[in-house]
Amino acid sequence: MISKISLPREGAGSNPNSALHAIQLIPISQIEARNLLVPNHYLHSLPGGTKLSLGIFLNARLLGALTFGVGPYFGYKIVNNAESDDVVTLTRLWLSDELPRNSESKVLGIALRSLKRDTSLKFVLAYSDPSAGHFGTIYQASNWLYTGLSSATALYDIGDGILHHSRSLAHSLGSHSVRYLTSQGIDVKTVPQSAKHRYVYFLDPSWKSRLSVSILSYPKKELE
Amino acid sequence: MEIIELPIEVLKEASWNVNQPNEAMLQRLRSSIQQFGFVQNLVVRYLGDGYEVLSGNQRLKLLREFNVSKVPCVIVNLDDAHARLFAQALNHIHGDDDLGLRAELIREVLKTIPEEQILTVLPDTMVGLKGMATLGQGTVAGYLQNWEKARAVRLRNLLFKLTSEQLPTIETAIDRMLPEARRKQGVSPNFRGTALYLICKSYLEKETLDDHK
Repeated sequence: MISKISLPREGAGSNPNSALHAIQLIPISQIEARNLLVPNHYLHSLPGGTKLSLGIFLNARLLGALTFGVGPYFGYKIVNNAESDDVVTLTRLWLSDELPRNSESKVLGIALRSLKRDTSLKFVLAYSDPSAGHFGTIYQASNWLYTGLSSATALYDIGDGILHHSRSLAHSLGSHSVRYLTSQGIDVKTVPQSAKHRYVYFLDPSWKSRLSVSILSYPKKELE
Repeated sequence: MEIIELPIEVLKEASWNVNQPNEAMLQRLRSSIQQFGFVQNLVVRYLGDGYEVLSGNQRLKLLREFNVSKVPCVIVNLDDAHARLFAQALNHIHGDDDLGLRAELIREVLKTIPEEQILTVLPDTMVGLKGMATLGQGTVAGYLQNWEKARAVRLRNLLFKLTSEQLPTIETAIDRMLPEARRKQGVSPNFRGTALYLICKSYLEKETLDDHK
């Protein structure tokens, strides 16, 4: 999910194009990614299951980060005969407004080329949250395939003031089965979440034919 | 702006000061003053029976410790509300470090000052400092290739959810198989996983034998 960037960009340097070329992706620790993303990304969190974290550097300054992780549990099933190890999900992408225009495309391009060259991953998933006004413009600009709205996983309210993801509830209580938890006297409610736009990018183009869901035309923001 | 050296006896800490550092932070401040000297003036206001410190309450404590007699102070003339607001402003208006630039700075400092000495004044840990010193030094290719190797050899999880009644049975069976697992460990460093594997293998072999009877 990309943190929305709403402010107009100033080029980082006298020539935005040269600044764009100077952008570097360098691995950073999850701690550093968290330190950067929690205060700056609109979701203010770093999801569990983060596998890869990369920093976005310009002239030695750390001006953004992107992370890849496990994503939805059965996300890989949209591709026939895929296994969970064939895919990562782009879970966070945040860039400072100090970076020049089109930095998102540049960063995504570097990241995808690196994943293609240095891993055996076959495809990457990404989600955009329409309830936050996101339609995946950056994925559209980078020629990802749009596969419609994914069915959203509900969150769980067990009365502790926190909405739990099914994975974290299963981790803490051993199950996210509402029937089981209710039978054990726990008052648990499911809180429906809005569906998200799902995009897929094939690192191995020969796997595109295995896609088990339809490719749709890109969603557009409705004009007000 | 009036800067004047005041006798330490006339200075008093602000009772409303909300900044309450723990002992570790005070120790860093103590070390900083010892290494670099007292370089920041206190900010005070006159209250009739002495001077109240708006900024520098912790430094005042340490100056007393060091038996300093006169303290350079900036004197401001503010009412109660403005004094409190100004103190908050002094404590909270600052930028955030850019992590990339901070990493470069730390690497530069580490060339001449040992980690132990740095940690006497910076609120960091040895691990954090080492991590910061290596920030921005790796390559994406090396990082991804290592990750690829690691995931190829990683041990897989097989997660079971068991009731309180079921769990002791499984635990007992695994415990009984543990000595055998230690002998037949193979490449896996996980004895309990190997024990479960041997139990299942034994069951399947027995099932095959039963089929042939």
